[in-house]
Amino acid sequence: MVAAVRRHVQAVLLLLTGAAVLHISLLSEVYLRYVKEGLRPFLIASAVLLLVLGVVGAVRDGLPFAPRRDTGEEGDAPGDEYGHGNEDGHGNEDGHAHGHAHGSGPRVAWVLFLPVLALLLYAPPALGSYTAARETGNAVARVARFDRLPDTDPVPLALSGFIARVQQDRDRSLAGRTVLMTGFVTPAKDRAGTWYLTRLVVSCCAADSRSLRVRVHGAPAPPADTWVTVTGTWHPGGGGGLGTATAAVALDARSVERVHEPVNPYQDTTPLPR
Amino acid sequence: MNRAAPAGERPPGAIPPSVAVTGAVSLLLVAALAVPVLGHPGFRAWQTVCVALTVQALPFLLFGTVVSGAVNAFVPERVFARALPRNPALAVPVAGAAGVVLPGCECASVPVAGSLIRRGVAPAAAFAFLLSAPAVNPVVLVSTAVAFPGRPDMVAARLVASLATAATMGWLWLRWGRPEWLRMPARHTGHRPGHSRWEEFRIGFQHDFLHAGGFLVVGAMAAACFNVLVPRSVLDAFADSPWLSVLFLAALAIVLAVCSEADAFVAASLTGFSPTARLTFMVVGPMVDVKLIALQAGTFGRPFAVRFSAATAVVAVTCACLTGWWLL
Repeated sequence: MVAAVRRHVQAVLLLLTGAAVLHISLLSEVYLRYVKEGLRPFLIASAVLLLVLGVVGAVRDGLPFAPRRDTGEEGDAPGDEYGHGNEDGHGNEDGHAHGHAHGSGPRVAWVLFLPVLALLLYAPPALGSYTAARETGNAVARVARFDRLPDTDPVPLALSGFIARVQQDRDRSLAGRTVLMTGFVTPAKDRAGTWYLTRLVVSCCAADSRSLRVRVHGAPAPPADTWVTVTGTWHPGGGGGLGTATAAVALDARSVERVHEPVNPYQDTTPLPR
Repeated sequence: MNRAAPAGERPPGAIPPSVAVTGAVSLLLVAALAVPVLGHPGFRAWQTVCVALTVQALPFLLFGTVVSGAVNAFVPERVFARALPRNPALAVPVAGAAGVVLPGCECASVPVAGSLIRRGVAPAAAFAFLLSAPAVNPVVLVSTAVAFPGRPDMVAARLVASLATAATMGWLWLRWGRPEWLRMPARHTGHRPGHSRWEEFRIGFQHDFLHAGGFLVVGAMAAACFNVLVPRSVLDAFADSPWLSVLFLAALAIVLAVCSEADAFVAASLTGFSPTARLTFMVVGPMVDVKLIALQAGTFGRPFAVRFSAATAVVAVTCACLTGWWLL
C-alpha cells in the first residue's frame, strides 16, 4: 500500500519537477533528446511556474524535514491525513466534504518521481540504432524541383537530400559526385559487410520518430550508435537506375570518420563542407 | 489510556515495520530481475520514449491545470449558466464548438472539463468540450494543413468528423449516461466565502497537477511499451484491406498516444494507407488513447473512463468513415 502524498511532500515534488525541467531546458540542451527546439520557451515557463508554486507551497505548508509553520488553514491537523488519504477517485465520497480535501494529495503522484529523478540523475539518451532498426522505409517527402548541387567536392548533403536525389531526381545530379553525410551507425543484419548510416527525425517528440537510412558498402561497420561522417559515391547494384523510385539507397564509402553526437540529434542537417 | 500503549502508537507519517520489510524485499527482488533488462537497448529506448512523452505533455498539462484551477477559484457559476443554452441538448453542440478556443493537446482538456463539471456545467456539454477541444483548435488544424500540403479537404474532414463525434457523444451521455459512473474526487467546489481565492487556486492547482501528472506518467509508460514493442513493419501487413486498415489505424492511434498536435505528421507518414484510414487515425487519437484513458480514470473515475472511451472509439471510427466517404 502506498501512502498518500502529504502536502509538504507535494511541495518537494513540485520543486523537483520544476528543477528537472529547468535542468534539461535552460541549463543544458538535453531536452533536444526528447522534444523539438520549439518547445523550449514553454518548458522554461513551466519550470519557473512549478518552482514558484513549489516555493510558495514550501513556505506555507513546510518541508518534510523542516518544522512547518502553522498557517491555521483547515485540514492541517496531524491526524487529518490518515482518515482522508483516499482521494484518487475511488470511494470516500461520503457526503461530508467539509475541508477533508487538502491535507493529502493523490497516491498516483508518487510515480512522477520516476521521470523527474531520471531527468535529474541521468537523462536517458537520445533514440538510436535500436529504434532505427525497427523502422521500415524512408520518411522523405516528394521534392518538386532539385537545385543544382554546389561545386564543392565532396558535396555535403543531409540524408533526406541524398535519398530524395537518388530516388526522385530525373536529372541524375548525383552521377559521378562524391557526397559527405553525417549520421549514426545502425548494423544491417540482412547483408554481411554493410551497415546503415542513419538519422531519426521527429515531428513533435521522440515517440513519433521516423528513420532515414542509407546502406553503406565497402567499409567495416563501426560500433552501433557511433556518429560518423561518411564520404562516398552512389552505389548502384540491385534496384533501378539513379533517379528512379526503385534505385538502391546506398553508398560506396571512401572514408568513414568518427564525429561527436550533434546537439540536436533529431535534426537532419547538412554537414559542414570539408 | 490510549497513550500508554506504545506498540500500537506511532507518530503520524511513520512507516510500520512490516510494510518496510515487505517493501525492501520486493525492491531487492525487482532489482535482481531488472538487471538483465536494464542494459537492454529496448529498455533504454522505452525510457527515452516515456520521458519524451512526459516532457512533451508537461507544458500542456500545466496550462490545462492552471486554467482549471483559475476556473475553480475565480469564475462564478453564473458565467457558464449564461454562456451555454439552458437546454442541455442544445448546450452539447455549443460546448463542442467552443473547443476551438483552447489551444493545446488532449492533456490540457481533461482537467478543464473536470473543473467545468464542478462549476455546474452539464456533464454532457463538458464531455463534448473535452472531446472536441484537442481536435479542432487552431494549432491542431494548422499542423494538419502543414502535414497534408495541398489537401484542404483533409483539414475540413478532420474538423467535421471531430465535431460530429463530440456532439454525438454528448447526446449519447444525455440519453444513456448515468451519474453514478462519474466518481469525481470531492474536492474544491469553487470559491467559498472567507477563504483566500489565491490560496484556493494554489491548492487546487497543486492537487490537480500532481494527480494528472501521475496519471500522465502511467499513460506514458503504457504508450512507450507499445511504441517500443510494435515494429513499424506490422503496419504494412494491414495497409491493403480498406476495412482492416481503418480499424488497425484506429487501434494504433489508441496505443501510440501521439499528441494531437503531432498526429497529423504521423498520419501523413503512413503513406500506404487510404485517406479515410488516416483520417480515422487523426479523429480517434485526440479522443481516445492509453494516456488519455489513464488521465480520465484519474479525473472522472475508472467506471466512467472505461465506458466512455469504448463508446467514443466506436463513435469516432463511425464518424470518420462517414466523413471520409463524404469528403475524401
